[in-house]
Amino acid sequence: MNGKVTPERVAAIAAAARVPLRSDAAARIANAVTPAVARFGDEPIALALEIEPATYVVIARGGAKR
Amino acid sequence: MTDPALLSLAEIAARIRSRALSSVEATQALLARIAQWQPKLNAYVRIEADEALQAAREADGHLARSGPKGPLHGVPLAHKDMYYFAGKPAGCGSKVRDGWIAPESSTVIRRLHDEAGAIRLGALNMAEFAYGPTGHNAWHGHARNPWNTAHITGGSSSGSGAAVAARLTYAALGSDTGGSIRLPAHFCGVTGLKVSYGRVSRANAMPLSFTLDTVGPLAQSAEDCALIAEIIFGADPLDPVTDGAPAWNKAAAERPVGGLKVGIPNSFYVDDLEPDVAAALDETKRTLEKLGAGFVSVDLPDQTAVAAAALIVIACEATSFHAPWLRTRAEDYTPQVRNRLENGLAYSAIEYLEALRWRGPALAAHLAAIGDVDIVLAPASRAAAPTIEETDVGGGTNAEAVIFALTRFMRPINYLGLPVLSAPAGHSRAGLPIGMQFIGRPHGDETVVALGRAFQTVTDAHRRVPQLS
Repeated sequence: MNGKVTPERVAAIAAAARVPLRSDAAARIANAVTPAVARFGDEPIALALEIEPATYVVIARGGAKR
Repeated sequence: MTDPALLSLAEIAARIRSRALSSVEATQALLARIAQWQPKLNAYVRIEADEALQAAREADGHLARSGPKGPLHGVPLAHKDMYYFAGKPAGCGSKVRDGWIAPESSTVIRRLHDEAGAIRLGALNMAEFAYGPTGHNAWHGHARNPWNTAHITGGSSSGSGAAVAARLTYAALGSDTGGSIRLPAHFCGVTGLKVSYGRVSRANAMPLSFTLDTVGPLAQSAEDCALIAEIIFGADPLDPVTDGAPAWNKAAAERPVGGLKVGIPNSFYVDDLEPDVAAALDETKRTLEKLGAGFVSVDLPDQTAVAAAALIVIACEATSFHAPWLRTRAEDYTPQVRNRLENGLAYSAIEYLEALRWRGPALAAHLAAIGDVDIVLAPASRAAAPTIEETDVGGGTNAEAVIFALTRFMRPINYLGLPVLSAPAGHSRAGLPIGMQFIGRPHGDETVVALGRAFQTVTDAHRRVPQLS
């Protein structure tokens, strides 16, 4: 999977968040985050429709004891 | 007579309660030691000597009249400068919050100080907004490692690690979102408890990532961590993630450890270790075997994917917290922290939410991989503390690489929300501490402390005290 983040994408998200960026920031940010985005994107994650963030709490409580 | 500053938390608390030693004597002993060490370590950002001595006199008076308020009656403590005491400043290691006065106290501060009777000695240095693993702080100056002041303390609970190691406080609260208790514990040679997500209230403490933030102690020993844990664990209506959280189970934390099953990862946490760390890991295994633990090799899911998910979550949440200041006063952050906060602007909402939704399945995969294992054993880092010079990269192009290398063995555990006791397990040939992580099952905080207590009955790395040079 191509997980490369582009400066254009960073600039668009920053603008939507109303956070001003310095002129060289978008390229730096794109380089900095690409490894995490690419690695997460490469993971073959199949999330069932019913999975939500709070599902974590259920699994943690279930895994508490052996 | 032993210097009272060198006593453990359990010892000083018992001596004050029995009136074998006064709170004033304990406070004076710590202040004398702080006066010697602070110029070298920069562990404190505020030392409140007069107020602490006044509080100690009041504690002694209260004890004589009415007995102890609680188990830490009159014990002087200092914490990372992100825990709020109503009416006191909490600068969070930053320029942005310099001079800010907390309107309310953190729940953990109320429990330790208002209810258990500890007194406040001051506030400890930390990384700016707890967003840095080295312990560097350009505003307050870097905290320095008591074993060798040219080396880092680790962060973000830098002052907590340095102050406990040098015996400038009997224990300290830190916080752990991506290793901020375990790294200073490892680098400074103290014991740190990174608690299970959801068992300790974070209410009215500075947030960094609401999905990953945990509050816990750094102390001399697992026994001392347990003393703090007994006070701070349990549900708090002000922090909804603690809903239904059980109180600390003291009996479980003192259980015999014979028969515990310890998992040894067959990759990632054992890859590319410096020889001193590999030797400490082998010695730890031998010690645990003598204590009756059984061993099994575990094949954990790919930790690089788990770490990537953690990075996405912390980046988005930290940036969300700081977005108002990034809009209006971005120049008031140091370059590295500003850069890291700006990184959170790169992720899409779908990436963030998928990283959040995957947390449960990722934990299920971890539990399936470890089976009936009680504890996974892993080094805290592949090496002992690097130098300040090696890691003081500011916002430079290699900053991400330095941060990634330091936190490699940390982030996956925050994402999975697991409890960890980081315990001193030896020293490098250069005399720097090495820590091991006892990684528990979800909510198995008492089990990691039980193993740590047993480990520390037959080892002495946690008793070693750095000497002032």
